[in-house]
Amino acid sequence: MSAPSASPFMLPQAEETRVTAQKRLVRRLNRNNAIASSLLWLVTVIVAVIFLAIIVNVIWTGAPAFFVSTFFSSGGAGILSELFNSFYILILTEIILFPVSLGAAIFLVEYTRQGPFVTVVHFAAETLAGVPSLVLGMFGFLFFSVDLHMSVSRLAGALTLLCLNFPLALRLFEGALNTVSRDQREGALALGSTRWQSIWTVVLPSALPGIITGLILTAGKIIGESAALLFTMGISNPNNVFTLDPRIASDTLTTHLYYLKQSGIGTSGLGASGEATLDAGIAATLILLLLIINLVARYVGRQVQKKLTAA
Amino acid sequence: MQYSQRGRLTDQVARVVCFVFAILLIAVIVAVFIFIGSKAFRIFSEGGNPRTFFTIDNWDPTGENDPTGNGTPTYGAFGLIFGSIVITLGSIIIVTPLALLTAIFFTEMAPKWLVRFLQPLIEIFTGVPSIVIGFIGLTVLVPFLSKAITPVAKNLGVLGATAGYGWGAAILVLIVMVLPTVLSVSIDSLRAVPDSVREASLALGSTRWQMMRKAIIPAASTGLGTAVVLGMARAIGETLAVELVLAGSSLPAKLFSLGALFQPNVNVTAQIAQDFGEAVGTTAEDAYWTLAFVLLVISFIFICLSRYLASRSVYK
Repeated sequence: MSAPSASPFMLPQAEETRVTAQKRLVRRLNRNNAIASSLLWLVTVIVAVIFLAIIVNVIWTGAPAFFVSTFFSSGGAGILSELFNSFYILILTEIILFPVSLGAAIFLVEYTRQGPFVTVVHFAAETLAGVPSLVLGMFGFLFFSVDLHMSVSRLAGALTLLCLNFPLALRLFEGALNTVSRDQREGALALGSTRWQSIWTVVLPSALPGIITGLILTAGKIIGESAALLFTMGISNPNNVFTLDPRIASDTLTTHLYYLKQSGIGTSGLGASGEATLDAGIAATLILLLLIINLVARYVGRQVQKKLTAA
Repeated sequence: MQYSQRGRLTDQVARVVCFVFAILLIAVIVAVFIFIGSKAFRIFSEGGNPRTFFTIDNWDPTGENDPTGNGTPTYGAFGLIFGSIVITLGSIIIVTPLALLTAIFFTEMAPKWLVRFLQPLIEIFTGVPSIVIGFIGLTVLVPFLSKAITPVAKNLGVLGATAGYGWGAAILVLIVMVLPTVLSVSIDSLRAVPDSVREASLALGSTRWQMMRKAIIPAASTGLGTAVVLGMARAIGETLAVELVLAGSSLPAKLFSLGALFQPNVNVTAQIAQDFGEAVGTTAEDAYWTLAFVLLVISFIFICLSRYLASRSVYK
């Protein structure tokens, strides 16, 4: 008997083998699909569980520290000075970072058209974003601390963090400005306003939710940064940290935790178990700060959006 | 008249100020290359040999371990760079399939409630401080690995007391650090594939899995490549998390063995973080600038590669 052909007048037997072959193919494909689907589910669940387990573990092991009376005091056994320093450096950095990166974003989006200059700036931003924070910290030490005679100080740390977060802030602010529609700009310009007037009165208010979200997200990065601060801001505190003096060296929550883990037991005068609690407490504080910052960013973005669209 | 003149003046001033800020970004990256580059080659005129720098496995810029006792420094960064490469490749090999599978599930199959739960989780995890991951690695992962290794420690040639630290732990820590980055970039590139591609594939009778494998992944391949390269750029520069679980000051005796994964070890970033501070002001300082320059160049190559891949992608 000849091989089954594609003609509609096939012998009944050949037709049958063709149908079984196709059924088998469909069954195989469906089985593969089911296997792949369950594999994808499995991998995703594993990844999600790892993420969740890490967050829960940090908070769970760190929570007892919050009930130790000395935890929120200044000095070796507490974190009050580190908390103060972290927020100090956050505010100092944002004071410089926010106007500079928003200005750069405004220039790229509003003042210049797409062209070689924008490409060059974007390439520079991506390259800078790819520089390891440790290397940027060494650059900050060389340039700000040594060459500009700032020595190891809060100011040198803040300027290094400016370099580190500039690309991220620029991208977030550019995104925020790009959400404003062309019509609004053109409307303002058609009424005879200058570019700056249209930016100030029309574009910036409409882009506000994105700008605030961007500001808060960079705040999270600044709070969590450590490697760039090792050589620019130091890992030790002077006697009185509760000043606004930007010329003194100081540690932050992150660099303090690094210092404690790196130098071993005995620096805080708490003994092994007390210090383990302190370390876990600092890690939990960092995670909680990060969670709060993320939630606030979401909430503020939504609220401002609501207010703007309602008005 | 006066009013409009003032308006135009403000506009000009704002324009110039914003232009200066944009230039500042370029100035920063150029300055980083110039300042670090200008210091990077000094060591070679102070007795360092550019040929042996990358081939000898003996990092001793202070000369304190000189066997002759003369304090002659040796600059052999092979082991450090090798360590960085091992942990970067080791982590990215595990991260890539995990991230790709999760990203595909996330964009093609996941129910809405799961997306709403996972999206913020990924975003939060992208920003988790590296020191916190290092802390978890040190307090949870290293003891666990140590317990797992101890029974076979002798066979691997690992000292029981310090078993568990090392490249193995560093790879696991890096996985957690890099996964969110690779994942979010992969998700972006899969979302950029238009629905018409999916519909066309399904209309031809393919199953969901066939659609993902034969249509979506090829369409997003350059974007997925970008994600992996960016992950590698992040992995090679990661410092404190890796340093805490490496906990070494020198390379293990047998570099090319399974045991090297589970005993204290070094890499480029950990070496810099540990000793750069002390080396400042001495001749050893220059050796660390060379290391920093190597890191800078490697990450620059990664960024160029990712830009090249991104420029070739069809869907953006």
